[in-house]
Amino acid sequence: MAAILAWLWPGLGHISHGERRRGLLIMFGVLFLFLGGVLIGGVDSVDRKDDRLWFLAQVLCGPIALVVDYANHATIKRLPDDWVARYEQGDPGVRTQLRRKSLGHVNEMGTLFSALAGLMNLVAILDALHPSHRRDEMRRRWSTAP
Amino acid sequence: MTATLGYVPFVDPIHALHDWWYLLLVPLAFGISVIYRALKMPRLHRYWRAVATMTVQILLAMVALAVALVVVVEVVIPWLPAE
Repeated sequence: MAAILAWLWPGLGHISHGERRRGLLIMFGVLFLFLGGVLIGGVDSVDRKDDRLWFLAQVLCGPIALVVDYANHATIKRLPDDWVARYEQGDPGVRTQLRRKSLGHVNEMGTLFSALAGLMNLVAILDALHPSHRRDEMRRRWSTAP
Repeated sequence: MTATLGYVPFVDPIHALHDWWYLLLVPLAFGISVIYRALKMPRLHRYWRAVATMTVQILLAMVALAVALVVVVEVVIPWLPAE
């Protein structure tokens, strides 16, 4: 259950078994990276069709990645069939769509930020599956302390 | 309507960052440190100090790797015999 919650919204897995501050810090970290990636690269940095391998990492952030991918396909990717002709005629709608396509380092960094957010959230999901291991570690440290 | 708007945050990419991409390694290292330290520390005592330390460690490691690669490409490889 904690793992599902951790995938649905980063940090919820830890909050659900009482580690509120830890959960909030994980939430802050994952959302900082994911939203930072979308801010840098635009919605085009999350793309299940053209960047499938990256998307497999990004979707580990949860439904938020699916929403951004949907927004990408509903706006930027939906170019009309005659977009070349319309672009040459100066169609402002087509020009705006093309301007929103992220390219080069901006696209790379945006994709990297959001993919790393997903991979770090995978670590958080696995950690949420075993809430007792940290208590065991603390007990071990206290018992061996001088 | 949308076509007449300027920059829209989270929709438009920030193209101005294209030439300054390496500066983005700082927030990247910070974000990774925030999550890693939150998961790793048994108690969250002196948490932000640990995050700052790890961020600096990651950045120094990346700079050291970059310097090492420059030395290999610019010094070691030209110094090697051609055959």
